[in-house]
Amino acid sequence: MIKDDHDHKHCLELFEKLSEYLDNELDEVTCQDIEKHIKECVPCFVCLQTLKRTIELCKQTENRSVPEDFSRKLKEVIQNMPNPHLSAK
Amino acid sequence: MTAPKRANRKEIKDKDFELIRAINSGQYDRFPDLVKRYEQKLYNFNLRMCRDAADAEDIVQETFLNVFKYLKDFRYETKFKNWLYRVAASTCIKKRRKSKFAPQRELSLDEFYPQSEAEVSDQVPDWAQMPLDKVLSNELLDKINEAIVTLPEKYRLVIVLRDIEGFSTAETAQILNLSDANVKVRLHRARLFLRDKLKGYFEND
Repeated sequence: MIKDDHDHKHCLELFEKLSEYLDNELDEVTCQDIEKHIKECVPCFVCLQTLKRTIELCKQTENRSVPEDFSRKLKEVIQNMPNPHLSAK
Repeated sequence: MTAPKRANRKEIKDKDFELIRAINSGQYDRFPDLVKRYEQKLYNFNLRMCRDAADAEDIVQETFLNVFKYLKDFRYETKFKNWLYRVAASTCIKKRRKSKFAPQRELSLDEFYPQSEAEVSDQVPDWAQMPLDKVLSNELLDKINEAIVTLPEKYRLVIVLRDIEGFSTAETAQILNLSDANVKVRLHRARLFLRDKLKGYFEND
């Protein structure tokens, strides 16, 4: 990236592909290109690691239980809803 | 000799098909079983899409009413869960258009790219290199949930489906009627947006 003496444009190109890299959605040549680059470019390595951790944290968000009142209400609504399949007959 | 077209179609295995076939064959009293199976998932999906629990409840209810109405049209060509989320996403988008949610805006890659030398990190911050369980806390999870709801809707839908609900790129594209490329672009920007929020949270800690 900016601090380094290598091609800044290359950093930008790889920056666009970091999610696909982490999702294993890139071809082998591009993966190798990224791996080679991040060995030499600390800011890009930092960027990759922080993005990876963001995804891991996002996956940890927990599901809440459905409030009982709502679950009961939903059950009632479902039981009392008009049945278009029956009325069409 | 040309093989029949249907021979190429991959058979989908899905734990829900038996129940859907039963409902579609007239056992409507089994619809509540389907609701029970998915109410928590849809409730949480909608909680992440809205800030408000009451709005989330309304949308879940409307989604199930739509599912009941259109279940006959389900063709068993995709997993039921993918079809269900397609109905859920579409119900959510329609409802939100009528309401008072966060305004749409585009996220550009430029806004996440370091603009000056001062912004460039030369070492991995602790929060990104410590073991995950040492970083995790309820407060942090609350912050992530808060950050997710501040994402513009089109990015939020993608990150919720991909990184939280666990759908693949192709499935997310199918659910949202987008191209795979579009899903990837939106997902990357959404993740960068959250990464910036997390950076802010840890730096100000």
